[in-house]
Amino acid sequence: MKNVERRNVEGRGMPGMLLLAGMAGRSVRESHSESCRLTPVEVESRVFSRLRATIAWQTLRSMFSGARLRLALVVLLSIVFWVSLYGLFVEGFSFLESIHAEVISLLFNAFFSSLMVMLVFSTGILLYGTMYCSPEARMLLTLPARSEAIFSHKFQEAMWFSSWGFVLLGSPMLVAYGFVRGSPWTYYLLLLPFMVSFVVIPATLGGICCMAAVAWLGRLRLHVLTILSVGVCVGAVWLAWSLFQSGSVTGGSAEWFDQVMARLSVTEQRVLPSWWLSSGLIEAARATDRPEARLASLVEAVKFLAVLVSNGMLLQLLARLLARSSYRTGFSQLTGEMPARRQRRMAWTDRVLSAAGTARGRPLRLLLVKDLRLFRRDISQWSQFVIFFGLLGLYFFNLRSFNYNTAYASMISFLNLAVAGLILSTFTTRFVYPMISLEGRRFWILGLLPVHRDQIVWSKFLFSFFGGLLPCCGLLFLSDTMLGISRSLLWVHEIACVVLCMGLSGIAVGLGARMPDLRESSPAKISAGFGGTLCLVLSALFIMSVVIIAALPTHLAMAAKAFGGGGPPPTGFLGWASGPQGSATSLLLIVVLGFIAAFVPLELGLRSFRRLEP
Amino acid sequence: MIEFDHVTRTYGPKPAVTDLSLAIPRGELFALLGPNGAGKTTTIKMLVGLLRPSRGVVRICGHDLVKEARSAHLHTGYVPDEPTLYDKLTGREFLWFIADMFGMPRHLAEQKIDREIEHFELAEFADDLSESYSLGMKQRLVFAAALLHDPDVLVLDEPMVGLDPRSVRIVKDLLKSLTQLGMTVFMSTHTLAMAEEMADRVGIMVRGQLRFLGTIAELRAQVAMETSLENLYLELTTARSTP
Repeated sequence: MKNVERRNVEGRGMPGMLLLAGMAGRSVRESHSESCRLTPVEVESRVFSRLRATIAWQTLRSMFSGARLRLALVVLLSIVFWVSLYGLFVEGFSFLESIHAEVISLLFNAFFSSLMVMLVFSTGILLYGTMYCSPEARMLLTLPARSEAIFSHKFQEAMWFSSWGFVLLGSPMLVAYGFVRGSPWTYYLLLLPFMVSFVVIPATLGGICCMAAVAWLGRLRLHVLTILSVGVCVGAVWLAWSLFQSGSVTGGSAEWFDQVMARLSVTEQRVLPSWWLSSGLIEAARATDRPEARLASLVEAVKFLAVLVSNGMLLQLLARLLARSSYRTGFSQLTGEMPARRQRRMAWTDRVLSAAGTARGRPLRLLLVKDLRLFRRDISQWSQFVIFFGLLGLYFFNLRSFNYNTAYASMISFLNLAVAGLILSTFTTRFVYPMISLEGRRFWILGLLPVHRDQIVWSKFLFSFFGGLLPCCGLLFLSDTMLGISRSLLWVHEIACVVLCMGLSGIAVGLGARMPDLRESSPAKISAGFGGTLCLVLSALFIMSVVIIAALPTHLAMAAKAFGGGGPPPTGFLGWASGPQGSATSLLLIVVLGFIAAFVPLELGLRSFRRLEP
Repeated sequence: MIEFDHVTRTYGPKPAVTDLSLAIPRGELFALLGPNGAGKTTTIKMLVGLLRPSRGVVRICGHDLVKEARSAHLHTGYVPDEPTLYDKLTGREFLWFIADMFGMPRHLAEQKIDREIEHFELAEFADDLSESYSLGMKQRLVFAAALLHDPDVLVLDEPMVGLDPRSVRIVKDLLKSLTQLGMTVFMSTHTLAMAEEMADRVGIMVRGQLRFLGTIAELRAQVAMETSLENLYLELTTARSTP
């Protein structure tokens, strides 16, 4: 190395001479035949494995050196999450074991079959992005790499990204199940092979669907995907509707529970990998004192594992064959497609926003129109928005079927408020927080416009605030209507919802302006940094504070009523807090909290953004 | 070395390249010129196997880019207009990855990596993660990667974008030396002066068709005007491209 550097320094003044001297050792025809050859499959596979390992190692090193707080937070929160889930599942399985052990098989089947559908879609979508639209794929396709090797490389990456949630959610569930059943050690040993071999099947199916859609459906693939997605959504709605439509049966009763379980049995199909996994796990977990019975269960479990592994391998083989025959053709077709013609007509929202208001506020409105257009045209943003709030709407829509009593309904309504806030906070962190940073590369445009920098920050805040307001308030209205909540409590929820939208927008925009990363072009990477993590943590704390303060008077009143019997109403602090004064104070407190959460970060962000030198 | 045999490529109903026939022999530096949307990038993408011709055949060293893509790539080095690197790999690690993909033996790969690091003056930052590189540094690393396996054919898409004058000089000298050693260079460029200075032959594309093929001297002779190359170029690409 030192030698190389020294020679570089010597050669600085005359690069041409240095090069010609270097060329003396280079003979195109001779050295090419000596040094290059098509690599065998196993070598190619090793090269890609080494590439992934090096990237993973360097990413970990960067996190250790540059984002320790974030890493510690992620690890800590994951542990807390895992342990909480484990505790929850231990309780749940103990309860189910005591009433009806057969139910567990049904629950496993329902859980794993829904997971399977999600994995097919998520891996397919991820592979579409990484195999057909990424600069890395373009680079790899110009190297002498096999198409199937590139597929395998990208597949492993996509499978990891789409299934890590299963590991985080599934492992505490399965470990808890083993603990409750008193399973032998072999069960824990088989857990990971079972999980991995199961995940491979839907993930590979997703990959096959993706490659087939690109190669054979051409432009029709979008229509097919839309029809398929609508079909899956309709199926999910139908299943949810049939599960919870229990007529006169009281939600949570034994009869209702039996009905739900009977309907869930639709997922118990022997041809599905989810059934192989459930059956294999149940066999592996079977606890018995008789050694021959234990061995028989283990053998049965290993047979199910073998079915999973062999099917996974067969699908992998088919996927590689498909990649070999269609990947390059599909890539070429997709690259050669003409981009869809943009509508030249202005959307009505853009027209209204551009034309309304005073001339002084026009720059701010134009910035809003620009952000609105970017949001509409970025499928990754609005699709996630629609999916998450759509699922929440579906859940709220089904609340009517449960026939809750007043106290229970009130508690659920506040939990729904918290859930709506948490979903909104993931959007503000993932999409709103990086907005200022993403202006970095276009900063010269904004910098040269006759627009005050404050207006840029305010436009982001208004975009986020009004963008979140409509779905959140609408969904809470739906939730409260379905739960039969009183009108006064509905108003409390709506006010709390406005406060949440305001505070979460302020936190995301303020921190985004205070800690911008103007060099990064990926919003995912920006929100995954320290600022994004801080934004998420502060948002969660803010939501918890608002929901607890808003819920306190109502629940104190209910507690007083429940424990007071037919006696006189409570007096002192309890009486004050559970009365109208308490409600008014709690509302005032959450409004003040909302203003602090919105305007303190915004002020900090504005100050920092005014001084920013891109 | 490079052969386009009646190649046509369409995007939907719109032709991007029409009936292109072109042969570039060993040791020639060929520059493809043309206005925006002329079909240069489509031609380059077909040459490196990212796009398949709708009709016709593209060959590199006798290997059909569709039927024998891997063998053709073994003979090709490619420098795209926008360098693509792995952010979490150092420059040296990236060069090792490329060497492994081309099946180079370890000892030879080590020698060649050191050679390219020296030629492109990468030593100062070769062991830093490439996420910290400037555009020029990335472009130099991509050049090094493209030349690592001593390809017979080097394909360059706007090669000087992002390079500082010193690096431009390095690349120019390098290209001259490589063609002297027998490498074929196919370059797309907007820079007329560069084509004039470097190219053995130029091709001018307009609306997907090769309007001119020959040396700069032949180009001047064909138009037969006492004017600068820039005016000749504008004459060819503007007046004749008007439908």
